[in-house]
Amino acid sequence: MSGFAAVLRKDLRLELRSGESTLALLALSMLVLVVLVFALDAARVRSVDAAAGALWVAMVFAGMLGANRALLAERDNGAMRGLLLSPLDPATLYAAKFAVALIFMAVAEVGAVILMVLFFNLEFDASIARLAPILALGALGFSALATLLSAITGRTRGGDMLLPILAVPIFVPALIAGVKASAAALAGAQLASMGDWLKIMIAFDVLFVTAGYLLFEHVVGED
Amino acid sequence: MNSSAIRNWLGYSTLALMLAALFMVFDYVPPEAEQGIAQLIFYFHVPLAWVAFASFGLVAIAGIFYLWLGDQLWDDLGYAAAETGMVFCTLMIVAGSIWAKPIWGTWWTWDSRLTTTFILWLMYGGYLMLRASADDTPQVARFAAVLGIVAVLDVPIVIASVRLWRTIHPAVLVTKQGGHGLEDPRMVATLLVCLAAFTALWAWLLMLRFTQLRTRSRMSALAVRIAFATAAASDKQVMELG
Amino acid sequence: MEHLEYLVAAYSIIFAVIFLYVVFIWRRQAALDAELRSLEARMASLTQASSETVPQERSDI
Repeated sequence: MSGFAAVLRKDLRLELRSGESTLALLALSMLVLVVLVFALDAARVRSVDAAAGALWVAMVFAGMLGANRALLAERDNGAMRGLLLSPLDPATLYAAKFAVALIFMAVAEVGAVILMVLFFNLEFDASIARLAPILALGALGFSALATLLSAITGRTRGGDMLLPILAVPIFVPALIAGVKASAAALAGAQLASMGDWLKIMIAFDVLFVTAGYLLFEHVVGED
Repeated sequence: MNSSAIRNWLGYSTLALMLAALFMVFDYVPPEAEQGIAQLIFYFHVPLAWVAFASFGLVAIAGIFYLWLGDQLWDDLGYAAAETGMVFCTLMIVAGSIWAKPIWGTWWTWDSRLTTTFILWLMYGGYLMLRASADDTPQVARFAAVLGIVAVLDVPIVIASVRLWRTIHPAVLVTKQGGHGLEDPRMVATLLVCLAAFTALWAWLLMLRFTQLRTRSRMSALAVRIAFATAAASDKQVMELG
Repeated sequence: MEHLEYLVAAYSIIFAVIFLYVVFIWRRQAALDAELRSLEARMASLTQASSETVPQERSDI
């Protein structure tokens, strides 16, 4: 079995056994949405913009938690050293960790979308289907970025607090594009009309998946 | 030329250019028609922006060289560039805000340039927080290098997305795009001199901080060797006694 | 001249912050120099110790 599949299977099996990370992610997404419902007073603001914004806030927080969890398995007991001594190369390890973070984020997204429709008085119709590729692009980019960064922050004193500080500014372009495209989709626009936003998200994704793939070896080595 | 000679040369150039710049701003350039005297802030605000972005680029370049060559020199350069860049970025935002208040009536607005600079400022801050929260090991240097590279690669996308954001939904206040209609050639000349002055200032500060960090790195390495030598010497003494 | 205070504020802050940064560098330099001196002293005592080949006196003979 390839190294990528092995690491992926290990992490997923760990998670399926306890399910606590998934539960935490879904809970976090929901709570963030609840806070925003009250903070934005969803009845008074145009629902679609508020809903899209709230959805992305929930996704970003869940994404950070997911990326942290993806690397958490190796942080204790020096298991990372074991992985590095194996014939597994860092780029493959990155791919596996990125996939785990992506799966976590996708699960959180599904939950968040359902809650968003309920909380912000929207409909389960074609607009949700149009949302899917936008959210997929966002999850790809954010997981790629957060996996790389959490390898850094997990091993410095700043720790988990540092990850949002580093990730959010870098994620801003994809965030702007994602929120704008999501709001447009929910308002009924076709994907073709959001071409510019989608191009930005695609550029972001390509950039950060590539960067993560190439640079991961520099952040997992031990001294 | 050794480094202290370069430093002194840069220092004197900075002083000369800065005096020239001040003279040109306050005595030479004609005032702009609509904005009044506060518009003169522009002549420092733009060079600050150029230097802040250039310094950021240098952080990334130093990061690439560090990952490639492994020489501590590149890490020191990147750290110095991040610090000086942060100083200039902060000043640019502050100057921009002080300029905005009389011209646009508000201390802050999310126009595309200010927004992009603010994101840059946040990235600088993250880089410096990473450095501050961790020890001076080669591992942390690698972390910082990766972060610097990743952040700089992001900047063009930030610029594109913020600009798109602001053209579709323009800021509430119609922003005068920073006095770009520089009609009078004296204005252009003044701006160029100010650019030169701030570039020299940046280079001088960078050189100061960089040589300081170099010294610190060398001393750390030396301290390690002395510690080893001390331990070896006392081992030797113990063996001679026994 | 209207808005003069903004101009003054902007330029003053710029120069003040730059000045403060230079002071920051200067103070770091003083600390570095002190550390360098102590390192040099230890180097000196090390080279002195290694050049002393006379063994310690044994008092229990």
